[in-house]
Amino acid sequence: MSERRLETLKGFYRNYVKPFYEKAHKAKKKGKLVAWVASTFPVEILLAMGIIPVWPENYASLCAARRVSVPLCELAERRGFSKDICSYARCVLGSLFDGEDLPEGGIPKPDILVASTCACDTHLKWFQVASRIFKKPLLLLDVPYNVESASRENLPNHYLQHYVSQLEDLVSLLEKQSGIRLDEDRLGKTLELSNRTSELWLKIQNNRKNIPAPMGAREAFSAVYFMLCIPGTEQAVDFYERLCDELVQRVKQGAGVAENEKYRLVWDNLPLWFDLRIFQYLENLGAVVVAETFSHVWAGSLDSSKPYESLARKHLSNMANCTIERRIELIASLVKNFRANGVILPTNWGCRMMTIGETIVKKKIREMTGISSLILDVDSTDWRNYDEYGVKTKLETFLKTLE
Amino acid sequence: MELLELFRPLISADNKFIREWKSRNKPVLGYACSYTPEEIVYAGGILPIRVLGSFEPPKLADIYLPVNVCSFAKSCLDRALKEEYSLLDGYVVSNSCDNQNKIYDLWRHCTAIPRTYFINTPHSITENALKFFCKELERFKEWLMNSFKSEISEENLKNAIETFNENRRLLRQLYELRKPNPPLVSGSEALEIVLSSMMIPKNEHNKLLHELLDGIERREDLPKEGERLLVSGTVMSNSKILRLIEGVGGCVVADDLCTGSRYFWDLVKENGEPMTTITERYLRKIPCPFMYSSEERFKHVREMVKLFDVEGVLIFSLKSCDVYSFDAPLLAEELRENEGLPVLCLEWEHTLSGIAQLRTRIEAFIEMLEE
Ligand code: SF4
Ligand code: SF4
Repeated sequence: MSERRLETLKGFYRNYVKPFYEKAHKAKKKGKLVAWVASTFPVEILLAMGIIPVWPENYASLCAARRVSVPLCELAERRGFSKDICSYARCVLGSLFDGEDLPEGGIPKPDILVASTCACDTHLKWFQVASRIFKKPLLLLDVPYNVESASRENLPNHYLQHYVSQLEDLVSLLEKQSGIRLDEDRLGKTLELSNRTSELWLKIQNNRKNIPAPMGAREAFSAVYFMLCIPGTEQAVDFYERLCDELVQRVKQGAGVAENEKYRLVWDNLPLWFDLRIFQYLENLGAVVVAETFSHVWAGSLDSSKPYESLARKHLSNMANCTIERRIELIASLVKNFRANGVILPTNWGCRMMTIGETIVKKKIREMTGISSLILDVDSTDWRNYDEYGVKTKLETFLKTLE
Repeated sequence: MELLELFRPLISADNKFIREWKSRNKPVLGYACSYTPEEIVYAGGILPIRVLGSFEPPKLADIYLPVNVCSFAKSCLDRALKEEYSLLDGYVVSNSCDNQNKIYDLWRHCTAIPRTYFINTPHSITENALKFFCKELERFKEWLMNSFKSEISEENLKNAIETFNENRRLLRQLYELRKPNPPLVSGSEALEIVLSSMMIPKNEHNKLLHELLDGIERREDLPKEGERLLVSGTVMSNSKILRLIEGVGGCVVADDLCTGSRYFWDLVKENGEPMTTITERYLRKIPCPFMYSSEERFKHVREMVKLFDVEGVLIFSLKSCDVYSFDAPLLAEELRENEGLPVLCLEWEHTLSGIAQLRTRIEAFIEMLEE
């Protein structure tokens, strides 16, 4: 099995994630400005200003992978936060109530928090709570819900205007807070790197169209880290170049991630961060996840001559900010382009965005592509209700129906 | 008091006023959230009514929705699927919470409602947000005029504002009656009156309120004295819970509910361009928990506590209501620490499953207060 693992991804956590937290802690100590960022905020702005972004969501997934998220969630619950809210939020809030023995020493404390309302209420509310706890300001980007599911090109003007004028105000506030001016050239360069990151990421994805697929979901959910957290950096570009080369090689050799690829799956939403081995389990059954919606919503090119507007276009049309039609359209196109024969729709207990509407998605995908979907009621970070045996049985039974 | 009995039947979606309205071939528009600017609807000769849930367990909505979804929003959908809202000529959602936004997809795909509309309510209260919201409300007005072939003139808007403001002033007077001990109206009666104001034409409601307020001083069957409580939460679709509290010795004298004080507390400015003043009123009203930030709402609760001489607070979080659930512990902490008030935090389901346990906890809390 070991030769199936991708070379580029070996030691991913040790080589990339851990040093990221170490560097952030160090920078904080040196008095650099640290910002807590919610994933749908246009991070390029912060990167271009030399503000250190840290990602509570990433931290929660990391805690889950290290199997410490549940005790942290429990800490938040003891403080009165409901068990029914997003486990990312519970996990991170829990980590604020007890600083002992946290993975990577916890998230560096913020000097400022930035969030957008793009994906969910949780970002807004969770960051509001954290802002109150740290007594640090929260800058909010209020993003109109894209209720027409309009594409990047067809967004209503006043949506764009609202986004852009807020972003302008926000930059002035950030400049005041940090004493750093946002340099247009540097923003342009960051956007170009961000574009390059996203092009490479899509190229990486395209390799997975190949039969057998050279990369599965486990690798993708690790590697997407660059795309998600630090897209406008040399490090991201460099890493994706290497990953892409390796995949091209693999495709040439006809090497698949599963020994005997029989089923090709599309995975919606998040994985079970605390049990990523489930993907190996699937691969052992000959089922490879060839595409994740999650891997496809962050990419997209930005026009460095119109930085704010293109950031607005990108985020306003993010699937999470759209009606169900956008999700259906994306999944259907992934099914077609990646030649998939099944779709897995995991929900996420505390996430309405991922939970509501799955029944319609399932029905429409069937109508549009003839392919079946399996809805899995799970949680990405909190394993207390996780019935491993039950989930595996469901997956296995589902695969049988695909034959 | 007999007059008080008149309001409860009006909370239903097929009350006599709605039937009468429909019999004149005038449209009825259901709305999901207290951020819907009803004045604009009413000015177009369209009756806005609030879509409320029932306390029955959902049947049809369960086919589409799992358990980890706001049971209020789910119940509203369930009623629509059961065609209990078949009299609606349309349904409007405001960008309030994820539950509403995502369930909107199901309203569009699965119910027989003839038309739906989504108002993009901002989540922040800034100059940018005002500009954006104003534009959104203009679009909403256009949609109303086109869909219902109605004319919404400036004059109609001004009249609507007057009628609605009058209703708000009267409801404020009603709340004044809760200040004495014992209060002249109970919490459950007050809630029924506010709820009914969302379900019938406001001018009719004003008449009823005038009559009530004129006669109430002579009321003999006064509500029972008890521990003076404030109830905070999102929606309550009827008065069952407040009756339960009153049944175990509580006396609900104030609220922070989106079907209570948050619905009518703020007035629209009467001089000025109506679309602008409406926009300002709705964006700057006592914020619901989905707005950034909650501090203004907490302030409203603290003020109410003082105005109404409150001795304890009950915080009702609907399960899976994210926006309120994040606020609940903060509000509780603030009231305990800064106001020295006893607070009880409760999670509940709109179906009232687990009501026996709720009752026990509320009873114990009230006993504790009495000591
Ligand atoms: S998991 Fe869902 S609720 Fe949680 S942060 Fe992500 S989008 Fe928001
Ligand atoms: S109770 Fe909460 S979740 Fe339910 S509709 Fe209201 S704000 Fe949304």
